[in-house]
Amino acid sequence: MLIQEELSVQEKLEILSDAAKYDVACTSSGVDRKGKAGTLGNAAACGICHSFSADGRCISLLKILFTNQCIYDCKYCINRCSNDVVRTAFTPEEVCQLTIQFYRRNYIEGLFLSSGILHSANYTMDLIYQTLKKLREEYHFHGYIHVKAIPGADPVLIEKTGFLADRMSINLELPTADGLKKLAPGKSRSKILTPMKQIQKGITANRYELMEYKKAPSFVPAGQSTQMIVGATGENDFQMMMVAEALYQNYDLKRVFYSAFVPVNQDSSLPALPGGPPLLREHRLYQADWLMRFYGFQAGELLSEDRPNFNVFLDPKCDWALRHLEIFPVEVNRADYYTLLRVPGMGVKSVKRIIAARRNGPLDFDALKKIGVVLKRALYFITCSGRMMYPIKIEEDFITSHLLGEEQKKVWDIGSSGTFRQLSLFDDMNVPALTDLRGVRL
Amino acid sequence: MKTVYLCENSVEGILSGVYAAWTSRKGHANVKLGLIGDEDTMELFCQYEEVPVNAGHADKVVRAIREKISEEAYIVVYKAALSKERDRGDKIYRFLIYGFHLGAKVVHMLQVPEVFEIFQMCRNIDNETHLLTGFVRFVEMEGDLLVSRIGPKNDVLVLLAPHFMDRLSGENWVIYDENRKKAVMHPALRPWFLVDLISSEWEERMKKASDEDEYEALFQCFRKSISIKERTNPVCQRNHMPLRYRAYMPEFSHGLKDS
Ligand code: SF4
Repeated sequence: MLIQEELSVQEKLEILSDAAKYDVACTSSGVDRKGKAGTLGNAAACGICHSFSADGRCISLLKILFTNQCIYDCKYCINRCSNDVVRTAFTPEEVCQLTIQFYRRNYIEGLFLSSGILHSANYTMDLIYQTLKKLREEYHFHGYIHVKAIPGADPVLIEKTGFLADRMSINLELPTADGLKKLAPGKSRSKILTPMKQIQKGITANRYELMEYKKAPSFVPAGQSTQMIVGATGENDFQMMMVAEALYQNYDLKRVFYSAFVPVNQDSSLPALPGGPPLLREHRLYQADWLMRFYGFQAGELLSEDRPNFNVFLDPKCDWALRHLEIFPVEVNRADYYTLLRVPGMGVKSVKRIIAARRNGPLDFDALKKIGVVLKRALYFITCSGRMMYPIKIEEDFITSHLLGEEQKKVWDIGSSGTFRQLSLFDDMNVPALTDLRGVRL
Repeated sequence: MKTVYLCENSVEGILSGVYAAWTSRKGHANVKLGLIGDEDTMELFCQYEEVPVNAGHADKVVRAIREKISEEAYIVVYKAALSKERDRGDKIYRFLIYGFHLGAKVVHMLQVPEVFEIFQMCRNIDNETHLLTGFVRFVEMEGDLLVSRIGPKNDVLVLLAPHFMDRLSGENWVIYDENRKKAVMHPALRPWFLVDLISSEWEERMKKASDEDEYEALFQCFRKSISIKERTNPVCQRNHMPLRYRAYMPEFSHGLKDS
């Protein structure tokens, strides 16, 4: 291992942010905290993006590793010990200075601190703890902090760190125990899930405590998140969604992030991916995740053992609606909140506006358009005062072909005849259009 | 003949105009609100009347909105008055006709075109304010002063100030709106205030400070290394971060291309 002692802060920053970039958990949302007079920082629940990098992803936090030295050898990771890359580490002082100075200039919303595992899990966790302590107590930093819990570290250390951070995460990385064994030999399911459970318990305990004494310091107030890599191992979308659902339900996770696998290492156990990272698949997983968290969908409604992968051509909500045409069309002026939420082309905001506006009289299609409903998609599934927008048949093939549109229909035909490769899909459809997914910040 | 009431371009000015037009008793169809300085939209066969700012009148309108419509309606009107929309004065007037008629529920009635107009103006200004809470960039100048320059379409300064006042309460900072030649100033641990400012001297000083600020270089380096090459997507980047904001951000070297 090449350890460079004499690097400038800029060189360290270059290495240690480059090594952290595959971690997507960079949103800063989830907690509202007012500033304290004279100290630096507050936190905004809505999340604020400060810049966007060339890959179109939001830059919100100073995302760095404390060190890229690591004793483990996870196959997919650039920092694995068998890789021959320059190694370095920040000092706690350097991390504090960078955070404070970036924050004052409004470059960032806070700090995201992760790390390779130096010497041992405990040693590393303690370094992270010391850094946070300095930042909070000596520098009086009041902004957002997201920190990684190191699998296998002492629960006491994790707890102490949790009282200084806004969010903690432990990456599951691979959705199944098999995948983990194959690609991350140093880790195991239980090493990851045990601290996850501990953080969950800390959060719940703290919730009760807060009710009794208002002054109790809060334990990871913005909750806990995790990340899964998409397409490094053979799991299908259904398995991924079932795991995500279980994490939301059993571990109270705030967010599950999905990261399209980018091959950084040559390794026979890793897939080759000639078509580039599976960005479309990642996009579909985010859409479905969104449906589970805000639209009341369950994983089992979107996919099943027999249909284990998302439709490449339709978003999961349209796809679901087309398989449930018997419940459509729904009457916009009468249907309840959850029924409206399931209509393609309607979102949480527009449904709320519909409910507020229709109290004062029936809505027509023009009003829906103003409210922000995407009529192009919704018109097949709704009536206004008993009438559809155009006289159309509610019939699967008819609606599908319209929803797909001309351009995509071509791709569809090629796809069904089997001569179609994933690569061309990206060119033809210009896919990873993450822009219609407001609020999902990557 | 229609009477056009020309008011000063400020919240107070517009509300003074509302008062003058309303109390003229000429009938809503026969009055219109315009802004002083917007003469190129002048119409023939109209009578023009300039309305001086009158704090007492503006106050009366504010009180009436809060009491007879709602607090929310007042916020909506206030924001609309800061909007980039040329016709904002008259649009506010038309909205208030419905407001005083319908009461609190007016703000939800997007099916009414006059309400929808105001709703869109508010949405636009809210969006711009939200983007700027992230895109404002401060440069550190001598004497522990943080200075930022923006060029927003809407008059967002007073909406931005509370955010930074809470976040940077212990810092001395200035945000300068170069389109409107005014600035919010915040001395550490004190309330913020608005000033009119002509800035040719400021711009020089900011440029110099920006060249000397070592953290700008560090942030540029961070932005570059955090991007994943295999996912490069300038369209997505542009959708989130319209080009017009980039001129004010050091990471684009004050130009438009990603540095
Ligand atoms: S533990 Fe594995 S994933 Fe984490 S830094 Fe080390 S090699 Fe990479």
